[in-house]
Formats: sequence, C-alpha cells, structure tokens
Amino acid sequence: MREEQSESMSELTPQDDSLAGPYFEAAAQGRLVVQRCDSCKNLRWPPLSGCPDCHSRDTTWVEVKPSGTIWSFVVYRRAFQPELRSQIPYTVAMVELDDGPYLIGRLVAGDRAPVVGDRVVADIGDVDGRPTVRWRIS
Amino acid sequence: MPNQRNPIAGRVAIVGLGHTVQGELPGRSAEENAVDAALSALADAGLTTADLDGLISCKSVQGQANDVAVGGLLGLNLPYVQSLDYGTCNFSLHLAVMAVVSGLADTILLTYGANARSGKFDFGKPMYGADMASAAGLVHIAGRAGLALQRHKAVYGTTDEQFGMLAVGQRLWAQQNPNAIFRSPLTMDDYLAEPYMVEPLRRSDVTMISDGGVAVVVTSAERALDLPNRPVYVSGIAEFAGVRGEHNPENLMRPWLKDSAQAIWAATGLGPSDVDALYIQDPTALWSLQMLEYYGFCGIGEGGPFLAEGHTAPGGDLPLNTHGGQLSESYTWGWMHVVEAVRQLRGQAGDRQLTTPEIGMYCSSHGFVKAAASIMSVNPAVGR
Repeated sequence: MREEQSESMSELTPQDDSLAGPYFEAAAQGRLVVQRCDSCKNLRWPPLSGCPDCHSRDTTWVEVKPSGTIWSFVVYRRAFQPELRSQIPYTVAMVELDDGPYLIGRLVAGDRAPVVGDRVVADIGDVDGRPTVRWRIS
Repeated sequence: MPNQRNPIAGRVAIVGLGHTVQGELPGRSAEENAVDAALSALADAGLTTADLDGLISCKSVQGQANDVAVGGLLGLNLPYVQSLDYGTCNFSLHLAVMAVVSGLADTILLTYGANARSGKFDFGKPMYGADMASAAGLVHIAGRAGLALQRHKAVYGTTDEQFGMLAVGQRLWAQQNPNAIFRSPLTMDDYLAEPYMVEPLRRSDVTMISDGGVAVVVTSAERALDLPNRPVYVSGIAEFAGVRGEHNPENLMRPWLKDSAQAIWAATGLGPSDVDALYIQDPTALWSLQMLEYYGFCGIGEGGPFLAEGHTAPGGDLPLNTHGGQLSESYTWGWMHVVEAVRQLRGQAGDRQLTTPEIGMYCSSHGFVKAAASIMSVNPAVGR
C-alpha cells in the first residue's frame, strides 16, 4: 500500500510548475499550446521566462496545430525509475511540430513500429489522472 | 614563440598524473578519492603541496569534491583556487592554462573525485528536477543520446554494426589496460546479440557508474623542464557553448561542435591528419560518433562507414580512446582520457603503447550545451 502511494507521486512530472502550468491547463481542455513571444512572435519550446531571441518577457500561450513529424524516437526497454516499470517497453518521440517547435512526448503504441519521418497527431487526454499530450502515428 | 593566433601554444605543460583504482570504493568519500589521486599526481610530478600555487577542483556530477573541500583536506592556502561545475577535465585544463599564462598561478593541481557507485546515485532521476521531457519518460543520458543516434541512423543510414565498432574497438583497447573495469572480450556478434537498453542503444554503448578520483598537475613550460617527467605541452585549446540548448534547431546533434572544431584547427594550424592519438569523452558512444564527424576526422554523416573501416580500433590509423574510454575503462567524467593521452605521449602506456605518438587530442562535451577540445604534444613548438 505504501509503495503504491509513493508510486502515485510522480518524480518525473513537474509539480506546481508555474512556467509549464498553462501547458497542462490547456491539455486538460484538449488543446496543445506553446509560448509565443508578444514582441517578435517566435514560438518557443520548452517554456522559458523570456524570449531568447528578442529578450521580451511578454508572452502568450497560443494554440498550435496538433500535428507534426517524428524527428526521432527511442524505445525504453529498461525502466530507470520505479514508476516506469509497468510501462516498459515504451516509446518517446521528439516531434517537430508543423508550426515549428520540437516537442518531446510519449508515442502511443500503434499497429507498427515508428520510423523517423512518420506523421503524427496529438492524442490529448488524461493518463493516470494527469492531463497528458501523447502522439499517434497518423 | 607563441603567436597572436594561439598565445598559449607550448607555454603550459602537464607534468603529473594520478588516479585511484576505478570501480567500487565503498566507504571512501568523493573528496577522499580526489585527495588520493592528488597525492599520487604530485608524487608523479616530483612535487609536494608546498610547490603548488593553484588548485582547480572539478565537482562531481553530484556536486561533491569542490575546491574548498579538497583544498581543505590538502591543507592548502593558495593564490588561485577555483571550482568548476563542468566535468570532462577539458574545462579544468583550459582554466589552468589561462591561469598560468595570465600569471595567476604557476603550478596548479586539477582534481576530480566521485563516489557515485557506492553512493548509489540515481542517474535515472531528472538531474535538474522534473520537466516536460521526464514527464514523457525521457530519463537517463541514454534517452537523449538514443534520440540523436536514431536520427543519425535515419538520415545517414548508419547501421548498428558500424556504430558498434566504437564499443567493440574500445573493448579491444581495454583488454590491454589493467585499470579497465570491463576487460572481457566483446566481439561484434556479442555486441549485436545484446538486447537494446534504450533502443537504438545497447548496454555496451553506455558508460558504467564508477567511483574514483583523478588528478593532473600543470605548470609553466619553464618549470616543467626542471621536473622528472617528459613534459606534455598544451598546444591548443578551444571551446564553444551552445547554451541556447534545446532552443537550437536539432540541438541533440550538437551542431555547435563545429565551432569548437574550427577554433582549435584555426588556432593551432593543425588538422585531423596530424593527430596521432585521439580521445573523445564518451558517456555514450554517440559522443564519439558526433565528434569524429564535427572535428573532421570523417565527413558529416560518414561516421558509420568510417568506423566500419577500423580506423579507431587497435591497428588502425586513428587510435581512439586507447584506454577503453568511458565505455570500457571507467566513468570518471572523461578525466582518464587526459591521463591516457599524456601516458601515451610520454611512452608509458604499457602493452597498448602506440609507436612514438607526438600529438594527442581530447574532445569533450558537457551535456548537450558545451564543447571543448585540447591538443597536447611532447613538442613545445606544435601549435605555434
């Protein structure tokens, strides 16, 4: 029982992360968002407190197309944390969004093994009670 | 004389080497491991702590063994004492060169110490706290390395067998190194039969966690001539920091390695064909693949076929990580690469000794943000 409790407290998911909060709030509503600099309009991922291009701190989270291309992926056959043990094997992809930024996300197991260059769409929903963006080969 | 292009060439020499046994050292702290290595490096240099006027400590990945802790145990009060968060020894060596050339210090002890193995440090935890990548399960160094390798395979057609030449070749070197942790034979068939750990990486493509300390003594070229060892001069240094990090397109390919490469070749007037012994820091074999290409030992994307031709294994024309590297010898955050380069240049590398190497090179990277390279030679005129 105690072990179950400790495993439900994820060591891997940001907790009360003010920077990434809007991303999870949007995911809870089924939307995929990234930061856009109000000044130079560049999209950025992962979130930062300011724009690395023009240094403006004015930022808006904007919805982006929930689609992209697999830039690369890895298949974990070993669990490096107890909470990942039940998920082995699992696939993590770096997805180049059609709108530009690169996102890291879990790939939903499909009918075939992924290859670099596969088109993917976002699959947004609750996983273990947490809003999560995963990717599915389209 | 040194020129404006490369004002450090031949002005600083490595004169002392020391290290502990690498592997499992239970009951010994990171600081004690650093101090044990330091005492052995000073003895090798024919010096004592009284001869030092500088100390540069590289913290372990866990933040241990800083300058205050190591310097305190050695009882040092010195003109120049510094700690670095950056491993691989290259960054420490560069700081030492700058300190000597600037006159801040003349004889400097560089230390590294860790006890990650017996301290059971968890390398599977997100090192800088949970983030969006760890939330997706991208943990451990093998995750990002695997992403970069998979991309390399897809774009350039690199095969497992080509890439496996790094692990297999370095094991051959390690079999001639009594200090290496992994010395049992590893054939290509053995390698290919290993299951993937984080596909496309296998266990043998990734370093082991080990305890240990390493130390290096550096001094001015003038003083080096009075010491017992054959001096190994620093011929050139270069760094480049892509600290824009993940906000660089395709940052996992470390595109900024080319900037460090251009800088060191431009400074020294040398090129890849001048290097007799090459050392590449390799927490995973991917580092070697990337640096072989960016430093110009082969073309970009041609690392696979180049490795398959056997250049880097024993008998090849570009001996790489002749101690076994981090894949077979020990972790030590790349510090043993410098030790081995100097041993080879001194002619003290035992069974694996190369035939009179004159120029050694060490390339390293701190995470996916920083590049550093050093060229070392027994000839003080190299790089001028």
